[in-house]
Amino acid sequence: MEEESTSHMTAESHTTDRIKLNVGGKLFETTLSTIRSGGPDSLLFALSNRNSNDPNPVFIDRDPEIFSVLLSLLRTNHLPSTSHRFSKQELADEALYYGIDSHLRSATAPPPFSGIDASIVGSIRPAAEGLPSAFTAADNGSVWIAHGGQVSSYDWNFLHTGTFRTHLDDIDSICRVWPEIAAVGSLSDAGLHFYDFSGSRHVGSVQWNDPTDPRIFKARVNAITASDSSVFASFDCLHRENCILQVDKTRIQVVSQLGRQSGNQAKNIVPGKLTFVPATGVLVGSAVTGGAFGYSGYIRLWDPRSGEVVWETSEPGAGRSSRFGDSFAAIDVDVEGLALFKLCSKSGDLAMADMRNLRDDPWIYLKEKNPSLVMNGEEGSSMVVSCYKGQVFVGRGGGLEVWSRVQEEATNVERGSEGDGLFRRNFVDKREDSERGAIRKIEGGGDRLFVSREDVEGIEVWESSHSAGAISVL
Amino acid sequence: MPPFVGDGIVQSQPKSDSNIVTIDVGGQLFQTTKQTLTTAGTKTFFSRISESVSTSPFHIPFVDRDPEIFSLLLSLLRTGNLPSKAKSFDLQDLIQESRFYGIEKLLIDSLSNPSQFEPFNLHRSLILPLNGRDSPSAIATTRYGSVHVAHGSKITSFDWSLRRKSTVLTQFTAVDSLLAISPSIAAAGANDFSGLQILDLENGIVKETLNWENVTRSGSTVQAIGSGPNHLFTSFESSRRNSNSIVVYDFETLKPVSEISHNEIFGADIGSAIPATKLEWVNGYNLLMACGSHSGPFGVNGYLRLWDIRSGNMVWDINEKIDCFADVSVSDSLSAIFKVGVNSGEVSYVDLRNLSEGNEWVCIGDKRKVVNGKKEGKGCKIEAQGNQVFCTKGGDVELWSEVIMGNSGLMEDKKRIFKKNLMGRVKDMGGDKINNLAFGGSRMFLTRKDQQCVEVWQGSSREL
Repeated sequence: MEEESTSHMTAESHTTDRIKLNVGGKLFETTLSTIRSGGPDSLLFALSNRNSNDPNPVFIDRDPEIFSVLLSLLRTNHLPSTSHRFSKQELADEALYYGIDSHLRSATAPPPFSGIDASIVGSIRPAAEGLPSAFTAADNGSVWIAHGGQVSSYDWNFLHTGTFRTHLDDIDSICRVWPEIAAVGSLSDAGLHFYDFSGSRHVGSVQWNDPTDPRIFKARVNAITASDSSVFASFDCLHRENCILQVDKTRIQVVSQLGRQSGNQAKNIVPGKLTFVPATGVLVGSAVTGGAFGYSGYIRLWDPRSGEVVWETSEPGAGRSSRFGDSFAAIDVDVEGLALFKLCSKSGDLAMADMRNLRDDPWIYLKEKNPSLVMNGEEGSSMVVSCYKGQVFVGRGGGLEVWSRVQEEATNVERGSEGDGLFRRNFVDKREDSERGAIRKIEGGGDRLFVSREDVEGIEVWESSHSAGAISVL
Repeated sequence: MPPFVGDGIVQSQPKSDSNIVTIDVGGQLFQTTKQTLTTAGTKTFFSRISESVSTSPFHIPFVDRDPEIFSLLLSLLRTGNLPSKAKSFDLQDLIQESRFYGIEKLLIDSLSNPSQFEPFNLHRSLILPLNGRDSPSAIATTRYGSVHVAHGSKITSFDWSLRRKSTVLTQFTAVDSLLAISPSIAAAGANDFSGLQILDLENGIVKETLNWENVTRSGSTVQAIGSGPNHLFTSFESSRRNSNSIVVYDFETLKPVSEISHNEIFGADIGSAIPATKLEWVNGYNLLMACGSHSGPFGVNGYLRLWDIRSGNMVWDINEKIDCFADVSVSDSLSAIFKVGVNSGEVSYVDLRNLSEGNEWVCIGDKRKVVNGKKEGKGCKIEAQGNQVFCTKGGDVELWSEVIMGNSGLMEDKKRIFKKNLMGRVKDMGGDKINNLAFGGSRMFLTRKDQQCVEVWQGSSREL
């Protein structure tokens, strides 16, 4: 953020390093290093290579006011306040013209997402059939929303960039396969389908078939995840037999099948959530069912290369006896921090398991030290958990909370071996936010947190900000 | 001198020994004097420009920055104030540019200087919202008007311009005492957490934890933090609540210097069991004011003591049995200690100029009020700032000021006259109960019960 003032000082002595520009009739003068900071592919870089002996300024037939904003951006790496006069679209278009859109993107990107200091910045609402059935966020802050059989794409600026209609009536799972290609699945229709945004067309499908078993047909997709080379999707048939298919990303063909099981019990139903962990090459699948006698389910880790189960736990049945009957209602994987997090259905407690050291009972139950925040029986409210940037976000009914790691003192090494006091719980939202509806899904991407709620159109976007957001009451 | 869009030709070339400096900023030429540039201070961008001009007088230095903001900052250099046209710019842009030129200090001086504090002209002007559901438990300000707000386990810091903020997570469940050591360093403590933590709020790390080694070897909770020009004071109580002490630390090194007011509690001596819950340094008298109170079945009682920290002796003390203070503040410039009574809710003072054994509080509020066991002043805050005393009462702030009578003949009883006013316009009155009050720069900050925000009151003349 802090720029080197010396670099600007050294430039002053060499007059030849300077360049004059005439943008739409207004004169600008700057240094070559400033104008070249957009990178060698930019228009400005190309202009700067003109003969410097030419006394006439370089003429660019564009709006001078937007140019002055972008020149400030190049000089300071900050967007000046005068940029508020222009719409996001205008700025993005103009930055693209000059070839400095990556500069604009880094200057407008939100700061690292911190759950303890986040506020809602807006909501992305598709124009029609706005109830999102599934969505997926990307690292650059863009998001794909599946709604009513169509998928809409919104870029990092929340600008709508495209929509395609699928042949499915409802899309229940969506996954980003390539920057332009989405894999979608539905619980009401068979198969895993690949759609391309650029042509808004269907590019391929995968079905689960078994030539030796005629019962395996019309298998529906429950969950999708992607690794660098493959897509994993969990399929289940009408008679509940299920498996996970590994699909090659480039050829869209089934590579292998793993974890096939009968589905006649809670501990072998189809995984409702799949996560691929690139650091260890392990696929994590989990299933949860809730019934009259409480929740039950399993977490299973596969090595996709061998198809073997690496570790598994099922609840009820495993874990501390004191936690009996308190099986998990939701789980998520911290892919970067290599940890599993589960939310207990009865107590509402959050527990963590280190993926590098999975044992019989690896769970560390995170304690709430603040007496005013201790939960007292919030049974019945739906719970979701999601990890992003080393923080764990939990939706309980409509409330959104974050568990963040407390910075330990450097001298205090002996603590922290256990999870006690490692995490601290805080609310992200205000009480009135929680009244908008039960949270259905939380996902982070590009230093933003996207939240969808039951029966609420569109998805909420939460960001951290360094701006104080002071409200004048004069 | 108005800047002009030049094509590089200066009409009147300055002579080599001239004082006039010409600078080309982003294509516009500016002329100023070396004296103006030196007001920025040594080793800044401008001093380097002025040096480079001295060595090569005919060379016009080129600065690749925005010329419009530069013209504002040049005015700031010339006059010490920003021109009024700066109002059309975003302050954040001006701060960014002033940092580039190394003159942010001048900008702070012109916009948020404690000398510009106008107690009679404070408006409720800004609300600083806090994220999450915790309402503020403690606030701390710095000299130039930045503010740290503890809410729940978090501390949010607003910079001096109140335009930027950052939030860090602490190990506390709630911070009860907070003191700003610098705009990025704060000391924090809690009644239920052992040790005083020195927090680096920029990086969110604990720099140091200061503990008081008590006899019982239990933890030491922090009851109050105060600071003088060279010292940091902390009132500790052992976790078993059977001993308490005030430790004096060196402000720079944070090494303990001395310990005063050490109490060990044996038996039923309630008086010594009360730790100091407010520490205030009295600069003009080189004394530390420490006070604490305890609410029991027979009402509230407490003490107020003045300590000489060099000798460790108590200079003066007063025990509070009837209408004990709810809060105390010492005013250096008025040479008086002010309290707000917990039962009456009225303000009283003791003159510091003639302290003696039998000194008593002089009530300057409504004396006729019957003290009937009601705690009308419970939770009231009192804070002396400059020549005024600010006292909160429920959702309102009272401003007390001394009336100096010119004709001494009228003043035979030598009683000082203090009069109060309610602050704010009618629409600002009332509201939820105020639970924190602090002053920094030219501003007053307050927080209210169950409100996740900080209210800022400031004078309007130089506001951007």
